[in-house]
Amino acid sequence: MTFKKIGIALLASTVLTGAALAATLDVAIDSSPAGLDPHLITAFNSVVIVQSNIYEGLTAIDKNLAVVPALAESWEISEDGVSYTFKLHDGVKFHDGSTFDAEDVAASIRRVQAEAIASPLASRVTPITGIEVVDPTTIKLTLDAPFAPILSSLAGIAIVPAEVETNAEGLQQTPIGTGPFKFDEWQPNGFIGLAKNPDYYIEGQPKLDEVRFNFVPEAATRQVGITTGEYDLLPAIDPATALQLQGQPGVTMQETRDIAYTLLGVNASREPFGNAKVREAINYLINRQEIIDGALFGAGVPAGPLSPALVNWAVDPSTFACYTPDVEKAKALLAEAGVTTPLKVTMNVLPRQDTRDIAQVVQQQLAAGGIEVELITQEIGDFVQSWRNSEFDMFVSANGGSPDPDEYFYRTFRGGGSTNVFKYEDAELDAWLDEGRSTIDPAARKAIYDQVQAKLACDGPAAHIAYGTLYTAVADGVSGFEIYPNGRLTSLVNVTVAE
Amino acid sequence: MPHRFLTNRLIDLVVVLFGVSLVVFMMIRLIPGDAVAIMLGANTEITPERMAELRARVGLDQPLLVQYWNWITGALRGDLGTSIWTGRPVMSEIAANIWPTFELTLLSVLVGAGLSIPIGAFMATARGKGAEVAVRIGAIAGLTIPSFWLGIVSIFLVAKLLPGVQALGYVPFTEDPLGNLQRMILPVIALSLPMLANLSRLVRSAMLDALSQDYIRTAKAKGASKRRIVYRHALRNALIPFITSVGVSAGYLLGGAIVIEQVFAIPGLGRLVLGAIAERNYPLVQATILVMTFAFVIVNFIVDLLYAVIDPRVSRR
Repeated sequence: MTFKKIGIALLASTVLTGAALAATLDVAIDSSPAGLDPHLITAFNSVVIVQSNIYEGLTAIDKNLAVVPALAESWEISEDGVSYTFKLHDGVKFHDGSTFDAEDVAASIRRVQAEAIASPLASRVTPITGIEVVDPTTIKLTLDAPFAPILSSLAGIAIVPAEVETNAEGLQQTPIGTGPFKFDEWQPNGFIGLAKNPDYYIEGQPKLDEVRFNFVPEAATRQVGITTGEYDLLPAIDPATALQLQGQPGVTMQETRDIAYTLLGVNASREPFGNAKVREAINYLINRQEIIDGALFGAGVPAGPLSPALVNWAVDPSTFACYTPDVEKAKALLAEAGVTTPLKVTMNVLPRQDTRDIAQVVQQQLAAGGIEVELITQEIGDFVQSWRNSEFDMFVSANGGSPDPDEYFYRTFRGGGSTNVFKYEDAELDAWLDEGRSTIDPAARKAIYDQVQAKLACDGPAAHIAYGTLYTAVADGVSGFEIYPNGRLTSLVNVTVAE
Repeated sequence: MPHRFLTNRLIDLVVVLFGVSLVVFMMIRLIPGDAVAIMLGANTEITPERMAELRARVGLDQPLLVQYWNWITGALRGDLGTSIWTGRPVMSEIAANIWPTFELTLLSVLVGAGLSIPIGAFMATARGKGAEVAVRIGAIAGLTIPSFWLGIVSIFLVAKLLPGVQALGYVPFTEDPLGNLQRMILPVIALSLPMLANLSRLVRSAMLDALSQDYIRTAKAKGASKRRIVYRHALRNALIPFITSVGVSAGYLLGGAIVIEQVFAIPGLGRLVLGAIAERNYPLVQATILVMTFAFVIVNFIVDLLYAVIDPRVSRR
């Protein structure tokens, strides 16, 4: 009797789950996101879920890292380069059913600027001094001075409903955007489910009914999960997992050059790293290809200051003299700088497998020139704190990268820049960086950033080590997915899954 | 059962929970790096002023003692705080994650403890025989193989040999009983094996001990069957050390569940607390550990009560 009941229950549940099958894409990511408010989050896993899926900006970044229209279908730039007039898409609705218009754009920008919200994105919109709603589908932004990266910056500013302008908590749990997918369910520690936005303004998109972001911390578990069909997509996987998955039946690997990179930084306010010759000597001691082969399974390219994925900007690193390793030259430079060897220094290491491995290879390479490095592997919170407070001689870390050179260079290398933890200052470079952001003409800008890269490459405070390969594993039956160099899942809108 | 026995145990419970709350509160704050620093990471453009603002919003700008006071008084009112990262009440996050852990540990205790009795009894009665030696070697292996390794290997094997079986994640039994059981089999095996190995060795030696006692000889002389002697006479006396061990092992299972949940992608308390520690999500860490401690203390409390039931001399001490 009881067995009969269980049997019926089992049968019923199988039939029910069979009947409820919708086109669901199961994505496995390595941890829970840290909130979903697009103006507050910085963690990669949060950004990957919300950006371009739940939320959209006025502009967007395409596969080639170029700026393309999104909620703004077009824009005009005034001749003096300080005012931008955006024409907005008509008939767009937020997920709560309200209509999107220029007021929402204005409120979103004000929200990011507001002190009380404390958005980490605030510096991207500081140049905006005037926000004028011309009519419901037109908005005019005025800048304090010409600022070339503004269109790229705006791609990262999600448009939220005007009503939440002063709300600092609500969007962390229940995001409301205009994107192709709307937030459906957050099972803490389990998954985040997004459902198709039936009112999406682009006809025929999205094609999926549901996207589920499963939180799967174990790399081995994710790996098995995609081979058994439990998961359909593993974004941003590490090279070791990628190697193991390559050639597995049922899985296709997509790869692209990453805009994220690993770097070795020095503290220019500590001797002898204030001396440009010492920094140049370090570059001559580093053998980037050896590091890539030894620590990254060969999956990467030697890094110049900008990723080769930024096709319009990056200078080929082989043109930098110091990228040809030369121990004798390094020793001579150290002697010229008056450094007595052995020089004993410490190196903080971001607790990540690739950065740890890189640090060990770098340690050996620097030893050849008489620089004795003591590695300090820190816990993440500890690392971030000493990094922020410039409490280090050297460090090895990893950074996300940006589609516009100004977004990275200005805050990082300009004297007083918000993440200039190197305490690096160079008047000439500062002048170039100021010019770079106010120059609108792309060719003239390119010339400026060529100079900047050449300067930073050899005697800058950061020796860029490698741009890795970004891998995404895609299960058979999934089509329409395209990997983006910035790791965003923008192409989910075109994805279909075979039943 | 005397009231004093119960009262004393309840006082113990309160003291332990209070002590644990204080230790956990202080320990997690001793780890360098606070939630705000980790939230923002090494790759953001935020100014120190804005960091201070964020810190104030989540109450991290207050002196430690004030933070503790606010938290403990809140906890006494039943409010364990809100998650720093998601802004949700931590109790709702715990409630959403408690069932998988409960089911996993309960099944593991049932399997580990349940199977250990016949296996241990077999080992005691068949001492020295080939089959018993094999079981004993198996028990030693079970004690020494780390469960996370067993977990990962079993996932790989199942993926290769039984491609249709869903081995990862969790679905509630009420939603999909078959899917639930499919997903529970491997984690339960991985988690219960060390306990099974440990307990069957314990049952074996306790049984051997009991079987050499005079009353067993008496029972034999009365002509009782071997089965009756083993399960009625010897087992009852072997039960006290067994129950103690089950209680202690159940506590360790919670620790093991942290690893197993990680390996099998089960959204349970173990994974919750692991993530919360990495994120310095203080309220969540504190509350989860408090709940786990509470469970551990309750298990021990039940064990104590069971003693009193099995051996009335215990409660009179």
